Amino acid sequence: MEFAKLYFRSPSAVIGLLLFILVLAMAATADWLYPRDPLALAGRPLIWPFSNPRFLLGTDNSGRDIAAQIFHGARISLLIGLVATFISVMIGITIGAFAGYYGSWVDTVLMRVTEAFQTLPNFLLLLVLVAVFGSTITTVTVAIGIVSWPASARLTRAEFLSLRNREFVQAGRTLGLKDIKLIFGEILPNALPPVIVYASVVMAVAILLESALAFLKLSDPNVASWGNLIGAGRDVLRVQWYVSAIPGIAILVTVLAVSLVGQGLNDALNPRLKSR
Amino acid sequence: MDMTRRAALLTSAAIASNVLFPMRSFAQETPRKGGVFTVHYGAEQRQLNPSLQASTGVYIIGGKIQEQLVDLDATGQPVGVLAESWEAAPDGKTITFKLRPGVTWHDGKPFTSADVQFTAMEMWKKILNYGTTLQLFLTAVDTPDPLTAVFRYERPMPLNLLLRALPDLGYISPRHLYEGKGDIRQNPVNLAPVGTGPFKFAQYERGQHIIADRNPNYWRANAPYLDRVVWRVVTDRAAAAAQMEAGQIHYSPFSGLTISDSARLGKDPRFIVSTKGNEGNARTNTIEFNFRRKELADIRVRRAIAHALDIPFFIENFLGDFAKLGTGPVPSVSTDFYPADNGPQYPFDKALATKLLDEAGFKAGAGGTRFSVRLLPAPWGEDITLFATFIQQSLANVGIKVEIVRNDGGGYLKQVYDDHAFDLATGWHQYRNDPAVSTTVWYRSGQPKGAPWTNQWDWTDPTIDKIIDDAATEVDPAKRKALYGDFVRRANTELPIWTPIEQIFLTVINAKARNHSNTPRWGSSSWHDLWLAE
Repeated sequence: MEFAKLYFRSPSAVIGLLLFILVLAMAATADWLYPRDPLALAGRPLIWPFSNPRFLLGTDNSGRDIAAQIFHGARISLLIGLVATFISVMIGITIGAFAGYYGSWVDTVLMRVTEAFQTLPNFLLLLVLVAVFGSTITTVTVAIGIVSWPASARLTRAEFLSLRNREFVQAGRTLGLKDIKLIFGEILPNALPPVIVYASVVMAVAILLESALAFLKLSDPNVASWGNLIGAGRDVLRVQWYVSAIPGIAILVTVLAVSLVGQGLNDALNPRLKSR
Repeated sequence: MDMTRRAALLTSAAIASNVLFPMRSFAQETPRKGGVFTVHYGAEQRQLNPSLQASTGVYIIGGKIQEQLVDLDATGQPVGVLAESWEAAPDGKTITFKLRPGVTWHDGKPFTSADVQFTAMEMWKKILNYGTTLQLFLTAVDTPDPLTAVFRYERPMPLNLLLRALPDLGYISPRHLYEGKGDIRQNPVNLAPVGTGPFKFAQYERGQHIIADRNPNYWRANAPYLDRVVWRVVTDRAAAAAQMEAGQIHYSPFSGLTISDSARLGKDPRFIVSTKGNEGNARTNTIEFNFRRKELADIRVRRAIAHALDIPFFIENFLGDFAKLGTGPVPSVSTDFYPADNGPQYPFDKALATKLLDEAGFKAGAGGTRFSVRLLPAPWGEDITLFATFIQQSLANVGIKVEIVRNDGGGYLKQVYDDHAFDLATGWHQYRNDPAVSTTVWYRSGQPKGAPWTNQWDWTDPTIDKIIDDAATEVDPAKRKALYGDFVRRANTELPIWTPIEQIFLTVINAKARNHSNTPRWGSSSWHDLWLAE
């Protein structure tokens, strides 16, 4: 309760949460409001928004209902965001935990690998992975997870470095606990809060990465994602700008919501800001 | 602002024709010497020599620098360029060209029949795509004197076919820069071409621009008018449209801009948007079936897929007035070969499509899906992407689930024509004035694996092979036309590929240009008479 009180003290965090609930609601009601396949031909292409009551947000240049694609796209964006974040954080935590706990040569090797990944611009690496493994929704999601883990690895490692010699850890060692049990049972729960906050950043970036891929027409064309809609709208950008603008706003709202929630969590979890 | 694409396209077509007719009055103007003409160049090629590669991406540059034996005139009839006259022996096995005297290469060496001999035997017959098929039975080119080239064929070569093929497949290269210089394909001259044409190659900056300057020693009197032609490499179509509006680019050939931007510029009096000057580059949108899939090897399934597509709806709403219903492999702009009867057609009929699929034994399973196919769209052309989506949407309605697989250009050609890793593919078939040039290779069996835009469907039909072979060596024009009628009807009956849409490339050009779009393959032609008004 203390935590909730701290969280709701910040107006931006509340706005973020409301926007996030809105996106979740769009994803949840997509099948109910738009039961047809969102990629099916719905009507004439390039109908302007609000000009035809059947297509509230108009149609894109393939004659597909933009509103249906926005609602169904919310699912895809959230799915990609959550799964890619999960993959990225899992890799990051594992590598960071081992590097931070064992130190010495394990740390050196794992951190050099992390740096190798960090020095490559993650979008370039993503392009390479998609070029090699193809652009289905699964490979795109996994690839996004693979390119965005280094930061969470470094964060976890830093937490582990500061926690590994605390009394409770040494007590555990004296009791004869195995390393694995110490890492995942004792230290990790204490190292987790900053990583969870950081995960919101990863999620926002993951959604943006997928949109950027789709903008270059390199994402999976067989799903209704917001990025695909922006990519399709590029061809008619000068006149029918709304085809790109509407999903652009949807992405903006979602990324903003995730970032604000992350910021709110950070403030609420940070003990030094309690008195603010 | 509130205007549908269809309305926009209709308006633009009306404006294009309004602008085209007053152009005749410009003929009274005195041509202005000088000026720099800037061209939108969308996709860079590996080399620029049109004797080695038949493609619009090469002609748009190499066609100003090098010249061919014959080109097409305003009415589409062959007209001599480096050849002054020609004559065929009655048996069709010998064709003699009299060459133009007084022509020199850009480096000052004289142009002679030795150049023709070398180019024909070493380039057209061995390397040039489509040329290797066309010149398969060429045995020798004799050069009794420097201005006579005698082509000798093992089997009769129809003069009519050769003259219609040579505007594309008849570019001459300088023998003295290639002979004895190692691998022709790797010769550096291919990226800095030397020709006899109105413009001399000056500079090539990869990814930036190509420049060619006026040839002061050009053989046509008082030509060319322009001082310089610059090709700007612009891969982003929206950026190219912006540069056209800013006056930084004068001409975007071969449907280089998006449909939406072309329609928008068509309403602007500063530009002319038209299909004129591209009649020699007609194309059809294709649906290519891979017979390795048992479902697609069944003719009923292929016909069902063709019947499932509402092509008039697609054309009306997505492509506008610049496209029309396709009827078969020979497009209707081909006045010489378009048959009176195209054989079976496949109008939109969902009930019939469903019935055919049921008869073929592919009943709808769970979720209404009969089977799934992978569709590979070629990455060139906005219409191909839109058509792929339309195929996906239409086939879903008859229970065929389509997964679209995107590739870059190289990946597409490799997966379809080399790896055969597709079920359906969709792209363009380009028709070049005679079915034997670049059309029959889509149907004739025995094409080498990996040769792009050829029959790689695992489909062999002895009947069509015989028709194709007979037509390619038939010297009587009337009989040839009749044979190609048989070819079209057979192709439409067996349906190894379906060509439901016929299009002509769209030109967007600055209204200051004069003497443009005045031949059927103007974008590829030499532009010796092109000039820019103040």
